[in-house]
Amino acid sequence: MAAHDLKDDAVRGHSRRDFLRGSSVAAATAVLTGQATTAIEEAKAAESEPKVLSGELKITLQVNGESRSCTVEPRSTLLDTLRHRLDVTGPKRVCDRASCGACTTIVDGVPVYSCTTLAVACQGKKIETLESFDTGPAGVPHAFHQHDGLMCGYCTPGFVTACKALLDKNPNPTLDEVRRGLDGNICRCGTYIGVLEAALAAAKAMKGA
Amino acid sequence: MAAWPKEPRLIGTKVPRLDGLAKASGKAKYPSDVRPEGTLFGVVLYSPHANATVKSIDTAAAEKMPGVKGIVVIAGQGKKLRFQGDDIAIVAAETEEQARDAVRAIKVDYEVLPHCVTESQSMDEKAPQVFDGGNVRKARAIVKGKPEEALEKADVVVEGTYSLPVITHVCLEPHGLTAQAEGSSKITAWASTQAVTVVAGELAGSFNISPADVTVLTEVMGGGFGSKFGADIWGRTAAELSKKCGGRPVKVFLDRAQEHLAAGNRPSATGHVKLGASKDGKLVAMIAETYGTGGVRGGSNFPLPYVYDLKNSSRAHAEVSVNAGGARAMRAPGHPQGCAIMEAALDDLAAKLGMDPVEIRVKNLAEVDNVRGGRQGETINRTPMYEAQLKLGAELIGWRDKYKPRGENGKGVVKRGLGVALHQWGGGGAADKQVSCTINPDGSVEIKSATQDIGTGARTILAMITAEVLGLKPTDIKSNIGNSTFPPGQSSGGSTTTPSMSPPCLAAATQARAAFFNKIAPALSTDAETLSLKDGQVWVNGEPTMSWKDACRKLGMASISETGKFADGLSSVGVGGCQFAEVEVDTETGVVRVKKIVAIQDSGLIIDKLTWESQVYGGVIGGLNYGLFEERVMDPTTGVMLNPDMELYKLAGASDIPEIIVRAYETEEMKNRGVIGVGEPPTIATAAAIANAVANAIGVRVPDWPMSPRNVLNALASKEGKA
Amino acid sequence: MKAFDYAAPTSVADALKLMEPPHTAALSGGTDLINRMKDYVSSPERVVYLKDIDALESIESSSKGVSIGAGATLAALLEHGEIKKTYPSLWKAAYEVATPQIRNMATVGGNLLQRPRCWYYRAGNGLLALKDGKSLVREGDNRFHAIFMTDGDALFVNPSSLAVPLIALGAKATILGPKGERTVPVAELYRVPKGSQERELTVQHGEILTKVVVPATHAKNASYEARHKQAHDWPLALASVALEMDGQKVGSARVVLGAVAPVPLRSEAAEKAIEGKALNHESATAAGDAAVKDAKPLSMNAYKVQLTKVAVKRALLAAVGDRYWEEG
Repeated sequence: MAAHDLKDDAVRGHSRRDFLRGSSVAAATAVLTGQATTAIEEAKAAESEPKVLSGELKITLQVNGESRSCTVEPRSTLLDTLRHRLDVTGPKRVCDRASCGACTTIVDGVPVYSCTTLAVACQGKKIETLESFDTGPAGVPHAFHQHDGLMCGYCTPGFVTACKALLDKNPNPTLDEVRRGLDGNICRCGTYIGVLEAALAAAKAMKGA
Repeated sequence: MAAWPKEPRLIGTKVPRLDGLAKASGKAKYPSDVRPEGTLFGVVLYSPHANATVKSIDTAAAEKMPGVKGIVVIAGQGKKLRFQGDDIAIVAAETEEQARDAVRAIKVDYEVLPHCVTESQSMDEKAPQVFDGGNVRKARAIVKGKPEEALEKADVVVEGTYSLPVITHVCLEPHGLTAQAEGSSKITAWASTQAVTVVAGELAGSFNISPADVTVLTEVMGGGFGSKFGADIWGRTAAELSKKCGGRPVKVFLDRAQEHLAAGNRPSATGHVKLGASKDGKLVAMIAETYGTGGVRGGSNFPLPYVYDLKNSSRAHAEVSVNAGGARAMRAPGHPQGCAIMEAALDDLAAKLGMDPVEIRVKNLAEVDNVRGGRQGETINRTPMYEAQLKLGAELIGWRDKYKPRGENGKGVVKRGLGVALHQWGGGGAADKQVSCTINPDGSVEIKSATQDIGTGARTILAMITAEVLGLKPTDIKSNIGNSTFPPGQSSGGSTTTPSMSPPCLAAATQARAAFFNKIAPALSTDAETLSLKDGQVWVNGEPTMSWKDACRKLGMASISETGKFADGLSSVGVGGCQFAEVEVDTETGVVRVKKIVAIQDSGLIIDKLTWESQVYGGVIGGLNYGLFEERVMDPTTGVMLNPDMELYKLAGASDIPEIIVRAYETEEMKNRGVIGVGEPPTIATAAAIANAVANAIGVRVPDWPMSPRNVLNALASKEGKA
Repeated sequence: MKAFDYAAPTSVADALKLMEPPHTAALSGGTDLINRMKDYVSSPERVVYLKDIDALESIESSSKGVSIGAGATLAALLEHGEIKKTYPSLWKAAYEVATPQIRNMATVGGNLLQRPRCWYYRAGNGLLALKDGKSLVREGDNRFHAIFMTDGDALFVNPSSLAVPLIALGAKATILGPKGERTVPVAELYRVPKGSQERELTVQHGEILTKVVVPATHAKNASYEARHKQAHDWPLALASVALEMDGQKVGSARVVLGAVAPVPLRSEAAEKAIEGKALNHESATAAGDAAVKDAKPLSMNAYKVQLTKVAVKRALLAAVGDRYWEEG
């Protein structure tokens, strides 16, 4: 990580303490410090007084059909939470800046970059990683395997996930639609030809199943 | 004498890789996925400055931060930091977030020094010195024949300056490892590496213990391309931190920015070239002055002249140091640069002569261009191979119908163009590597070697060879590599893995089979010579007699284990290939779209056609990135890299990928050469062929790679300026 | 990323309350803010997550036009039939933004209010990237920077692709703050910062962009984006046009340029050049030339002048269905 301390571009002048004291901020009373046992559900229940979460938080995520609990901070990304706290290591951290797609995860049915999604914001949502996909002949992983849509394989989880999400939405994609559907993912080994073949083959196989 | 089977059942077919489903289902555990119980997260503090001295460093505040378990300072007081991204310290903490916070709490007082981060800055006479002794090291020209004289007599001479930028490896899995020290005497490391044995040696060296006490594990890994041969300072420090933290595992993987900054790059290349020919297109002389930068490490030289026969040539190269991360080998080091410059100059010459680019290439191949044949002492002339490859490639791209002379590609704003380029590569195998093959009484078969699969398919290839010999399916073989404690295996570099590992693998499987026959022959009441293996059966005198599994049970309690060694005649060195590109250039926007690439490649005997094709596709796409998109951008003022990401550091996505036709040039003569690696050669010619196609389309040379709208429009503007 | 406090209100009213303290940032898709936080370019002390507010997500069309909630994702915008039919300039611009994953995450409000992608800004040199009184951009690598308004210190380009067609279409933005609601033309969301202390966005602290309303229109409208890669990339130049036709001629025109100035830039010169003319290659080319009359490129980006010309020409011709460049 860079050593330089980059300045916040917001205009400075108030310290955190100032706003905690601020009488206009009802919410400040709800600021939780240290180990917070209150989860977002509770915050949502008390809608009139939205809770502010801080420090270490115990959260529960629905990952691949299971309830998984762990301790995070508000700044913990979904990706780092999956990988570092829940040992769900299918999604990979590559660019860590919403560019390469290796971290692609399906949240409430929609593929997103988990490197740029906060874990706290995912409570109550259905989180699917490729570990939950059908590995049989009708599944996307099988097609990637058979068509050699992978080399080193580090981008592959992202491609497989983006491909699965694409085919769930569009079971009959054209080649150009497959390309566009996978444009949020980057491979460095240069395995795109196998990927495109795999995606088209998976579309066929999924229909046949 | 060892030989490849004449009528192979598996070799040469398409076999999906053994670890493919694990990779495609997210179940494969990469080194960066491994998190043993108690793992601490290490985060690297690296230099924000291109050139600085550490005046002081204070870690006291950082040590007291929540979760921090250990800090190792790499660059202490007085240490020079020669580039942005140079390592300063590593913090290990309970969570990665805590480690990052602590890194920011380390107080470093820098003496910031003047820098030069671009070649032009560095070559300025008043430039600050990157190292004592000057920024530009100019080697004496290598002269062949009488180039000046010959050039004067040439009928046609072209002169041009061509340049290619620094690009970086962008391995998707970052460099790094997780290290677990057992006191001072043992280390286990899960490393993302191309060379488990080198990493083991490096870690052993830093702990002053025997490599045998270090276990480096690389079950799978996420790309190296030449940049991941060692443990690096990060890995050694991770091991040190683990020791310091009572043996808790410490995981250190670089962030994406430091990957670009410190983990290697392909040097830039600029060449001022004069190339002369006689009227009939026969090259007579080349004079080239070139330079490039490998950052603080050097290594920017590249082959030039390249491929073609030049009786008279002069080549002087200058190594330019800049305050940027050091170069590392990158997929065919030097060749893509040499190829691009040679092929551009040659194409410009062909255009000036009004000659067909394919014809001028054929004309300038050496009469005899010998490479090694199948055995020590045997040779093969590569020239007829190139000719055959060019013929095939021209057919597949539709050269005869589509090719128009430069600048004669229609009236519309979008012009089509064709280009071609040739390349060559060595490869070859190391002769000291080993593979063990074990046949167990339960019928399982395991091969072991301390090599690794960096995505090339090495694991699958070794299983195929073993299965071929034992009459089994590749999936029946446990292909166990990526462990430094196994029999010595090859580092994955220089396209040498398969040629180094295939011969000992064949030997191991063959020896194991012989031992197996000897063992079970009595139980089958026959002689070993009557036995053979096919389709999972033991055959006696050509009749299937017993299943493999049942036969293995006859081994009783004892497994068979044989270690195979390298033998001559099974692998070779020296390949060639050609690539054709068809592009569309929008002359109003300068946007280049590659429509089609044809890649013809020879590489001896191909083991797995599926992974072989993937390697060639991958090489082509790597070359497409080099041709169209990639460029490390340095800021002259602040000395930092401006695009250390995967967004403004541009890499092709699915919509940028053209139709790619791959053909193996695989004659019987080629097959008889044995195994040759293919990781590198197919990435060499692509950027050259694309640039030639662009010039063909728009009628003017775009002398600077990549073929971006900016570079293309600038070239078009300069053409109009001249007109 | 520095630690921050976090809240996820489900109503706009709660969001406003939570937004009150200083150093608070609104988070929606996250594709910009989280990256800035990771790079310590922005380090808010509180982050208010707006995506749990259902009320911000709706897209509603009526006879008056279409109202697009600031929390609507780009994916939702692209799936809206009325937008595709009536506002192809907006649809196309959204279609070309980023990647499927980003379009699923990113919101219309986030696209409009994202911060510049200037690599000097993102490397921590501040929005204007001034060092010792000198502009790092002017002295350095400015290939992706502004070609208009370059006499000043703000040399970054506005990164919003949606702002360009929205301005061309005359859309208005609704902003809710502690003092109530205000509605401004989309163009007024932006300004050229006068000094390092000023942002390029006019939305004030504590305010939330809630929606944009695009008026009903019969205008022929189109966008054209010039970019390097086909897959994920940023526009090098972007033009959107909205043309009220007067028979075969252009009655009134709106031409807006993106990625070439610190704000989305209306080109009145291009508008004048095309108004009253029949739309053809000649008039479109003339309008493109007029659009760049005031361009003053920096040391490395003269090529963007050409791209801007062509983007204007092609957007104009695309509006009448002429996509000549696709025919070769």
